[in-house]
Amino acid sequence: MRVSFTLILGLPLLVAALILPFVVADNYVVHSAAMVLYFAYMASSWNFVCGYVGQVSLGHAAFSGIAGYASVLLFTGLGLSPWIGMILGGILAAAISVPVGYATFRLKGPYFTLTSIAFAEILRIWLENTDAFLGIPLKGAQGLTVPPVGGTSFVAFQFDGKLPYYFIILAMLVGVMAATRLMERSRLGFYLKAIRGNRDGSEALGIDPTRYCLTALALSAFLTGLGGAYYAQLFRYINPERNMGIDLSIDMAVMTIVGGQGTILGPTLGALVLHPVGEVVRATLGGHVLGLHLILYGVVLMLAVLYFPKGIIAPLQRWLAPAPKAPAPVVKPKEVEGR
Amino acid sequence: MSMLGLENTAPQRGGREAPALEVKDLWSGYGEQDVLRGIDIALKPGSIVALIGANGAGKSTLLRTISGLIRPRRGEIRLGGEVLSGLPPHRIVERGFVQSPEGKQLFLDMSIRENLLVGAANPRARARREATLEEVFDLFPILKERQACNASTLSGGQQQMVAVGRALMALPRVLALDEPSLGLAPIMVDRLFESIARIRERDLTILIIEQNVFQVLEMADHGYVLENGAVTLSGTGPDLLANDHLRASYLGL
Repeated sequence: MRVSFTLILGLPLLVAALILPFVVADNYVVHSAAMVLYFAYMASSWNFVCGYVGQVSLGHAAFSGIAGYASVLLFTGLGLSPWIGMILGGILAAAISVPVGYATFRLKGPYFTLTSIAFAEILRIWLENTDAFLGIPLKGAQGLTVPPVGGTSFVAFQFDGKLPYYFIILAMLVGVMAATRLMERSRLGFYLKAIRGNRDGSEALGIDPTRYCLTALALSAFLTGLGGAYYAQLFRYINPERNMGIDLSIDMAVMTIVGGQGTILGPTLGALVLHPVGEVVRATLGGHVLGLHLILYGVVLMLAVLYFPKGIIAPLQRWLAPAPKAPAPVVKPKEVEGR
Repeated sequence: MSMLGLENTAPQRGGREAPALEVKDLWSGYGEQDVLRGIDIALKPGSIVALIGANGAGKSTLLRTISGLIRPRRGEIRLGGEVLSGLPPHRIVERGFVQSPEGKQLFLDMSIRENLLVGAANPRARARREATLEEVFDLFPILKERQACNASTLSGGQQQMVAVGRALMALPRVLALDEPSLGLAPIMVDRLFESIARIRERDLTILIIEQNVFQVLEMADHGYVLENGAVTLSGTGPDLLANDHLRASYLGL
């Protein structure tokens, strides 16, 4: 029933996303749409662990930064294709996430959230103030630029025009949704659901919450890392603030919560609603009131929590795919116990 | 009946047997507060043992400590001779001590079938979970009929069946039931106790915590009375039922 709902809502969105750049062949529109997809991708990666475990991480931007820097440095330093750098960076982010998660996942509620902020902020502040580390030029707050190779080169992840970037992030978004679907169906998803539903109960039954939470976290960090590397390639520039600042973490969390945690399409819906709103506010009023889009985020978050605690996906689901009536119990003739 | 130093995981039939579960000088608690102060209990293989005592006596703390959810401060816990103390909860379930926790702790957004399958989380149980599921359905036929329904749609008694069935799915050697009759109508309590009596036929040792002192002692082979974190009384069911102190404190007689 859930599958059909995801398809009912997801397929038209996918078709719209596929034809949009041909209907409106404008570089600005395509770039803005790519940014919506990027945020949808990042929120979906966040949702992969946080939405299913029910813990709010505000440190996920660190995984984006780790993989982003790794891919840029591997390209500029060793000439390694950003496609490979992206994967290696994602693996590095996943590797770092495991000890961090091991130390913090046993914390509950706000304590987990606070430590996740601390982890990401320590890393960001260190990067902003470090010009070189072990001989690797990090250039602190100034950030790193990706030297242009000139023209279009698939291997170098550099393209003329925005269209290729748009389709790359669209493919990544479809990929993260497919991964989420697989996870939901797997043993990992089954036990995460139990842990979210009743952590104490599942622990008493012999489910090791740490193991399953860390597996999901590592996968989520990997996915987030891919997004961070993509972002660096899109702008051919990376710095600690944009690629791993707390704003990015907040975006990922708020978009998911507003859209619907623990669902396949929720984070994308959240990004679809919030990112354009944020952009419009920034463009029209940004010069007057700095950070107004963040205030607006707060308001939208409060309204969503009040009226759609399960995200805006919940009313859509009721409307598009109403839950079937509880089936009448099938009464079978009872077997006679021969005792 | 104590078999100190006997490292035997396979309980011998007949004669003297290693306890299925043995707790020696167990101290445990929360924060600075000691709740258990030197508990000693031993469960004969295949027996039903009742643990009774007032609220706050430490009954649930004892189960939580044996399950590994709380670390003991001192003392030893052995399951069929194998030391459990210090292992994480999932390892303890794997060894065969499984509890159906107080208040059922069901997964209310999951179906009955899913709730039961969560119980088979350890590798030993997962390997034969379909077969165990059929056995649980044999024991509680109503759960088979309603297996696709959400656990939240069940009555209290049926939810308790799910909780007990879910613990059975983990293939316990010792099954601990924390207040299974809590909040159930008297007729459901009777049925539940019948089911528990049937469970014992499966070569299983049962440790049961109950407020329903009279009924549980009639069924139990042995009982322990806990007061202020220590065992103050122990004996066979009939012995305890005849005990004046117990009759005055718990039965109001």
